[in-house]
Amino acid sequence: MNQFMVISNMELRLYVRNFFSFFFTLVFPLLMLLLFGGIYGNTPIYEGADSKMMDICVPAYSVMVTGVTGLMSLPLTLSDYKEKKIYKRFDATPVGKINIMLAQVFVNFIMTLIGISILLAAGKLLYNIQINGTFLSVCISLLFSIAAMFSMGFLFTAIGQDVRSTNLLCYLFYFIMLFLSGATIPDMLFPETMKKIADILPMTHAVDLMQGIFAGDALGMHSKELLILGMTTAICTATGAVLYSKKDWT
Amino acid sequence: MPQTIVQVQNLNLSYKSVKAVQNVSFSVTPGEILAVIGQNGSGKTSTVECIEGLRKPDSGSIEVFGKDPWLHRQEVYKEMGVQLQEAEYPPKIKVEEQCRLFASFYDRPANWELLLKQLGLEEKRKRPVHKLSGGEKQRLSILLSLMGRPKLLVLDELTTGLDPEVRQNMWAGFGNIKENGVAIIMVSHYLDEVETLADKILYLEKGKQKFLGTKQGFREYVKSQVPQEEWEENLPLERLYLMIAPKTTGLTMEGIM
Repeated sequence: MNQFMVISNMELRLYVRNFFSFFFTLVFPLLMLLLFGGIYGNTPIYEGADSKMMDICVPAYSVMVTGVTGLMSLPLTLSDYKEKKIYKRFDATPVGKINIMLAQVFVNFIMTLIGISILLAAGKLLYNIQINGTFLSVCISLLFSIAAMFSMGFLFTAIGQDVRSTNLLCYLFYFIMLFLSGATIPDMLFPETMKKIADILPMTHAVDLMQGIFAGDALGMHSKELLILGMTTAICTATGAVLYSKKDWT
Repeated sequence: MPQTIVQVQNLNLSYKSVKAVQNVSFSVTPGEILAVIGQNGSGKTSTVECIEGLRKPDSGSIEVFGKDPWLHRQEVYKEMGVQLQEAEYPPKIKVEEQCRLFASFYDRPANWELLLKQLGLEEKRKRPVHKLSGGEKQRLSILLSLMGRPKLLVLDELTTGLDPEVRQNMWAGFGNIKENGVAIIMVSHYLDEVETLADKILYLEKGKQKFLGTKQGFREYVKSQVPQEEWEENLPLERLYLMIAPKTTGLTMEGIM
């Protein structure tokens, strides 16, 4: 365990030194919150509505953070280490690449939680957002969302032959999901066709789940979203693992 | 009879249709240095990467400390240190961080702070690894191979990129390490290095084992391979090697002018 913490500590330092990851995980979502908060404030989303703008934006931006770590930071680290044969060097030690990868997943998980915590704190302080869901249901929703995004990133790394193709896959899916899932633009503004496209994207279900739970829904009311995110995690992880086992690491 | 540390029998490895290693067999005992020599593409690195457990052989058996390194890689690495031909490290990691990280992998790590001094890297400890020169990176790579106080060292091109003075220091250092009972397998293109350090030579040609034995044995092998009129006594190892190595096309001005 101590060894794992030393590796994780080192990976955390390297994460923070990477401006791109640091900015998009911790700073960019906060800027979005301040921007949209500055425009709308925490006012009802339409006249007479119970939901307020920032109350639905914060859970959506939380999913955006999981997208940054799961679809950009983690897969690009994995593919970079593989392409530069850094994992090969770790394989030539008693630790092996698997422990390094686990530490990288752990660090990205921690950074996701930090990014979301900053959002929640800013949302509470600046706009007095309401989190009506129980702590447990928020945690479970968050875990399902993180697992789905991370497993998709893992799959893209397994499919991509190099950093460039992994980059392309991750950016493509991240930005499509970012704009269509409701994570940045409220999906109520979308026409029906776009809503149908959005419905096949896992991030859409993560946003719906988080917004519902933040609004006070019980987990049971979102079994469809939980099932889709769970299946996304299982399929992407299993497929990624099979593809990974066939890769040449030397 | 000293205990065998590495035992390789009938090792075969292919990359698609290319037979990279064919029926290679040898053993290494404590305090012994085996030099693996041969041209580029002769299968030297492929052979040692099988010993390192980084490649799975097609057939044959490898035992390192009595274990199959492919199946028990992490166990074997508790007592084996390697210096890869090309090694990269995490982006933006600093020299001392890299050392500390590797030290955490072992129960009883070497005194890496002292090794940093001995290898002339003390002043570079705060420098990101990617900003080191080629020679400095090579010295760091050597340091990391020693981190676990290994009983077996596998060194792939030990002194490539090092200046003559550092090379001499390395030879003296690895001579001492060998005297302390550490077995060493070294891949090298520098035959002066092999002449100084090696007890045994494994000569590979197009993946095939052409010779395995002592330096004196190699001398006799070369003598048996070349016409008598070409033979000279007391030639250095490099000259002997050039007498039998497959000839490559020389660079001429024809392609340039």
